[in-house]
Amino acid sequence: MNIIEIENLSHRFNDGTIGLKDINLGIGEGSLVVIVGRNGSGKTTLLRHLNGLLLPSEGVVRLSGVPVEEDLLKARQFVGMMFQDADSQIVGETVYEDVAFGPENLCLERGEIKKRVEKALHVVGLQRLADQRPHLLSGGEKRRLAIAGILSMEPRVIVFDEPFSSLDYPGVKQVLQHILALNQSGHTIVVTTHDPEKIIAHADRLIIMQAGEIVRDGAPVDIVYDLEAFGVRKPCDCRLELEAESWLN
Amino acid sequence: MAELTSFSYAAGDSLLHRLDARFKIASVICISLVGLNAYLTGLGILTLILLGMFLGTRLPLFSGLKEIRYFLILLLLIFAARVLATDGIPLIDLNYITISMPGIYNGVLVCWRLILIVMLGFGFVSTTPPATIKAAVQWFLKPVPLVPEKKVAVMMGLVLRFVPVIFNQAGATAAALKARAVENRKNPVYRLTKFGLPLMRRIFERADDLVIALEARAFTEHRTDPELAASKRDWIALMAVGCLSIIVSFL
Repeated sequence: MNIIEIENLSHRFNDGTIGLKDINLGIGEGSLVVIVGRNGSGKTTLLRHLNGLLLPSEGVVRLSGVPVEEDLLKARQFVGMMFQDADSQIVGETVYEDVAFGPENLCLERGEIKKRVEKALHVVGLQRLADQRPHLLSGGEKRRLAIAGILSMEPRVIVFDEPFSSLDYPGVKQVLQHILALNQSGHTIVVTTHDPEKIIAHADRLIIMQAGEIVRDGAPVDIVYDLEAFGVRKPCDCRLELEAESWLN
Repeated sequence: MAELTSFSYAAGDSLLHRLDARFKIASVICISLVGLNAYLTGLGILTLILLGMFLGTRLPLFSGLKEIRYFLILLLLIFAARVLATDGIPLIDLNYITISMPGIYNGVLVCWRLILIVMLGFGFVSTTPPATIKAAVQWFLKPVPLVPEKKVAVMMGLVLRFVPVIFNQAGATAAALKARAVENRKNPVYRLTKFGLPLMRRIFERADDLVIALEARAFTEHRTDPELAASKRDWIALMAVGCLSIIVSFL
């Protein structure tokens, strides 16, 4: 069953630029989908329609059958979003406060908020930094904090916008481990990137975007060889005609 | 890694950290009012007590002083103005400049009072999480008619959240200009323009990013209220501040 259904989605920005053109897409519950494309291909614009940060000019996005614009608050709880720049996502003055921000917006009881925050911090391994100022964390820790902030809202879908950008190798591995663990715990994961190398070994499905349109959609093994035709570098394994290997190995 | 201003919350477990924000605000107001009317003895006592508390709390006092270096220059100007504008028996008498003992006394008194208030602010901000400051302000404003206390608290929270972002951005912009030899340009208007405009643009962009991040996390004004709990310790601290204020006001 598809947890996300997108029908005839188009988005035109205020200045007339076309961000998305006639997107039709269904994403199955529990899957790990990777969306790739060069800069400006519409990946982030598409993601922002999933939780109503942007609303369609035409078409509809449904979450478990319910159109996003029908209940934006529910959509934002349903689809947690991690931004490309983790810094811009951090709104709390301490790690604990930041993770509590979402549940507070959902008007939960204080006891429930505490429970969720502690659980989320435990999942990402930041319990001992609960009183730390977020801006003093490393890049990898900031990404983990952003994940904790999302987890505390208990979403069913988590979308990651360029989760590996400007991270060192250990940072990439940490974030990748968390993405896979979240997927294994039943979350539906959508990841956008212009560099699929780090995650392609784990993807159930690969979608290639260009100029606001989906130009390829299928199993990674079937379409990975088309990547360079759309301005995305093929992973090393693919160039060497080897089987895709995980960055965790 | 981002370096933040010392004028921001530093987690800890000291007495100052554990006091309820409402009592701390009341104490800061009380000591500020007394301090503004205090003389050298009273100011000396208040300063010693504050310094003692800061040392006990291990607050980064010297970093704090570094942060307010421009304010210290302002204080120097205030001191000079006071010294030159106060009449009295001249200590030094140059052609157009007369420095008198009452002038120096007056200058020291005004500057000391202002420094005391800044120190109070530093102690308060460094030991109180912004969320509880926000909650305390909301609590104080609740009985005031026609004031949307939740909205005010939210705006305060956003301002507090944004101050380190502005500092970080200013630091990054200044470094980028230095890397391109801006120091060779002596015209301050040119330098200010090249610094100010990109900084403002980036700040507005960051503000946009922040708004999107807030929306993505279902931001609303009607949120779970933060917890505030007064204990016996807070009342004792407030009474101690009250007694100290009465004593200092008579000195």
